[in-house]
Amino acid sequence: MPLSRRTFLAALAAAGVVTSAPSRAQPSTEIELFFPVPVDGQLARDMTSMIKEFSDTHPGIKATAVFTGSYDETLIKTRAAMKAGKPPAAVIMSANFVLDLKIENELTNLDALIKADGLTNDKFMNQFFPALHANAVIDRSVYAVPFHNSTPLLYVNADHFKEAGLDPDKLPQTWDELTAAAIKLTKREGDKVTRWGLMIPSNYDYLGWMMSALTMCNGGRYYNEEFGGEVYYDTPTMLGALTFWNELIGKHKVHPAGEQKGPAVSTAFLSGNTSMMLLSTGSLTHVRTNAKFPYKVAFVPKNVRNAVPIGGASLIIPAGVDGERQKAAWVLIKWMTSPDKNGWWSRATGYFAPNIAAYEAPEMKEFLGKNPDAKVGVDQLSVAKPWFATYKTVPVRKALEDEVQAVLAGKKQPKEALVAAQKAADEILKPYVDQTALKLPGM
Amino acid sequence: MTPSRRHSTLPLATRREIVPRIGYGLVLVAAVLWLVPILWMLVASVRPQSFGGPGMASLIPDAQPTSRNFIDAWEAADFPRYYLNSAIIVAGILAVQLVTITLAGYAFARVAFPGRQWLFYVFLLQLMLVPVVLIVPNLSMVARIGLYDTLLGVMAPYFASAFGTFLMRQAFASIPRELEDAALVDGASVLQRIRHIYVPLALPAFLAFAVVSVTAHWNEFLWPLMVINSPDKRPLTVGLAAFTRGQEGAQSWGVIAAGTLLVIAPLLLLFLLFQRRFINSFVTSGIK
Amino acid sequence: MPSPAHPQTSPGVEVADITVNSLPARDVKAPRRIGRRASLAIGAYGLLLPSLVGLALFTYAPVAQVVWDSVHARRAPGTAPSFAGLANYHAILADAAFRKAAINNLYYALGTIIPSLVIALGLALALARSDRINNLLRAAFFMPVLVPLVAAASLFLFIFLPNVGLIDFYIGRFLAQPPNWLGDPDVALYSIMVLTVWKNAGYYMLFFLAGLQAVPDEAYEVAYLEGATSWQRLWHVTLPYLQPTTGFVTVIALINVVTQVDHVFVLTKGGPSDSTNLLLFYVYQQAVESYDIGKAAAGTLVSLAVLVGVTAVSLGTLERAFGGRP
Repeated sequence: MPLSRRTFLAALAAAGVVTSAPSRAQPSTEIELFFPVPVDGQLARDMTSMIKEFSDTHPGIKATAVFTGSYDETLIKTRAAMKAGKPPAAVIMSANFVLDLKIENELTNLDALIKADGLTNDKFMNQFFPALHANAVIDRSVYAVPFHNSTPLLYVNADHFKEAGLDPDKLPQTWDELTAAAIKLTKREGDKVTRWGLMIPSNYDYLGWMMSALTMCNGGRYYNEEFGGEVYYDTPTMLGALTFWNELIGKHKVHPAGEQKGPAVSTAFLSGNTSMMLLSTGSLTHVRTNAKFPYKVAFVPKNVRNAVPIGGASLIIPAGVDGERQKAAWVLIKWMTSPDKNGWWSRATGYFAPNIAAYEAPEMKEFLGKNPDAKVGVDQLSVAKPWFATYKTVPVRKALEDEVQAVLAGKKQPKEALVAAQKAADEILKPYVDQTALKLPGM
Repeated sequence: MTPSRRHSTLPLATRREIVPRIGYGLVLVAAVLWLVPILWMLVASVRPQSFGGPGMASLIPDAQPTSRNFIDAWEAADFPRYYLNSAIIVAGILAVQLVTITLAGYAFARVAFPGRQWLFYVFLLQLMLVPVVLIVPNLSMVARIGLYDTLLGVMAPYFASAFGTFLMRQAFASIPRELEDAALVDGASVLQRIRHIYVPLALPAFLAFAVVSVTAHWNEFLWPLMVINSPDKRPLTVGLAAFTRGQEGAQSWGVIAAGTLLVIAPLLLLFLLFQRRFINSFVTSGIK
Repeated sequence: MPSPAHPQTSPGVEVADITVNSLPARDVKAPRRIGRRASLAIGAYGLLLPSLVGLALFTYAPVAQVVWDSVHARRAPGTAPSFAGLANYHAILADAAFRKAAINNLYYALGTIIPSLVIALGLALALARSDRINNLLRAAFFMPVLVPLVAAASLFLFIFLPNVGLIDFYIGRFLAQPPNWLGDPDVALYSIMVLTVWKNAGYYMLFFLAGLQAVPDEAYEVAYLEGATSWQRLWHVTLPYLQPTTGFVTVIALINVVTQVDHVFVLTKGGPSDSTNLLLFYVYQQAVESYDIGKAAAGTLVSLAVLVGVTAVSLGTLERAFGGRP
């Protein structure tokens, strides 16, 4: 007769208990860092080793790196853990979720911690690139510390350029040049396209970012950076951007129809199926490692001006983390965003180091010297703008994305799509607006 | 005790006729189609260009296979540890489930107690709730019992299985009552009757359930992700997700394929070794 | 022979009989009725206790939470929820995305359950005999079940990849311009259906294989001798004996259709343009992306009600259609 159930359960409980409570000689504050995987699975290992280094160099704090899936899954896990009374000490969170979390009162205000260090908010934030401030500072309080960031970039297959009679050292800088190049680069066999000129990702999340980039290059803004209740979808600038994209598909036929996922775009580029692509700087390392052809990168081409949104993640401390754990989390956050560590992480991942001083370090200068493509991304930071963040960021973004996807699939015209998107977004933003901008005395 | 199966050529011949030769040919074609994704995975896992070059989709293996992808996958995570964790979770859940579903299945199939039909649907509720809605309450419950960040916490919500109960109910219901009556006359208690009559006769159903339970929990991702924090308690799926979750557009298909193979290898092996035994046992123990 | 389809119509043996029989004769008369029913219930609930404890903690408590959540809503962002009656239900029924998800789910159900069951039954019938080849073939169809959905979705992401992916690589050359399998709103849902059928048909086949063993040879012999054709034998002999199995598999398939949304989660996230949004993915969106717990809870209860209703109807219909056996 096999093990009785009770014995078995007891054994399992022992296994669970033993592995969850390692004996410790000296008391130390235990903190955990929830981190999602940004780009590549190897980075999970890098993060783990970085956190281990922190624990080794900081006696009295034992930090554990907890891999938590995608950005969405990290959000679910963080919120569930908070509700269960076990909030993590620190979380790496998508930079544009910070506003939403703050509105829901789920973040710890970092002002007090900054003050305890003897700094003012401005002084603290000034160590980071200006473009990153708006996603971290809300109502003049600091709620997040930028950890790693990205911007969109134009990637170009240099071989294809030469083959089409274009000069790979003179990359397209305006939408005109971009369209002309794409037309020259697209290859056809009869009616069938065998090589696209340009591909831009358009799956949920990436699409919002790309629309943001194109609209900004067209002189516009996606949203009100100082108030999370307004978005500008039905505007001439966005209409111009969407029409441009739509014409690449329908009129010039240099861009495939329908939704294109991020991985599809990068795979197409690396396999020579598209000559140009707009993709995150976060993929630069991946492209550099895997491209079997010479490639070049450039600023996202402009129509009116050069401007791009940032992307990436920030470190936050959830609400409900107090006392020693909060202090320990703050030590960890400062360590991770110091010029030295930030620079190292940047070189390992391909993301920017938000800490400006990281670019003064000799290793970084050497790295940029060897990899001029990385330098282009850093240069573009001077024209970077915040990532759209509103009340209920994701549904508001989706309101636009659903409509744009319909346009890209040839089912709607740009103008009607944007009108519908604006209407849907305004409806989602209404509760917030009613509580703030439309809350007037005597109501 | 078991009446032997009638071995005559007639039933087999009649069964053959239900699916004429053309049908069997279709089945063969279908089998090949079904295997294509797995075949590709096998080929891709040893393919040198893991990022997706033009020949990435080819089902024909490359001239020079590489083990690079497997090495990358293996090194990226503590696989031996993860295997152990997954095995503990799966075995623990199954052991307890076998007990709970047998008892409950018997009750629904054979005991005409008040409220039976209604309670059955209440049981089925478990099947109809999607994990994401259950996550927050279940995590709070697990934390309250003190099982946060433990393997037992991962297992606990599954100890009662509506699916298994349902399956056992159907299986037990088709066992002739005469067999139980005979044992009853001999003075056997409920538990004895369950153990000596129902369990052996419902073996195919138990095996089918075991296959389903093991597979489902071996492959489960979201719930263990929520409960477990400590890296050394992670099951395989969470380790695998570290590869497959490329955020901003980069996917290393070869490494994903290799990692997936590493995760399913034990299951595959077990299945191939035992499936003949499993499914054969359906045949030989069919006395109904 | 008692029909497996109607276990409750046979008087059967009840747990309490032993207890009652051991009572002294003069006490048997009066308390018999009450005592019997009560001991029946106690006996049954005793057997059910372990399951009920587990379910209470991890299923019923959450359901209670869900019901509570569904009638509460937040008046203003960042505040605590307050009682809102049926407001959440009104909100989701008015939400175009919910309606779209419901319609998608209907198409999805029809497009996956029917093919899966037909294929599964066909495969089980074809591979009922256990010989070497059949064993290998069974393994081939069952293999998708072993692949975790996390990985299956990545696999299929590659398979559906435009131009470079498996389908386009082998079949794309024959099509003028192959459709964007996951990116065209008119095609995406069908692609998801294909993945589902691939993953589940072998799984259902397993249950049909087990159920087929319950069909006694004598029944076939009798039908054969009476001159029934193979299709008639299928309809009049095999299917009735398979009724409990078919009932089981149909219910499981229905439940899967509504509750298995992991592939949508990984492959399309409901897009493009909500064309692959399914009921429970909508619930996920409300819970996580919109952080509107009230609407998520309301959506869950609506889906639950639909499922319970459809389950009851299908079990009943199957029992009636095939329950009467020779």
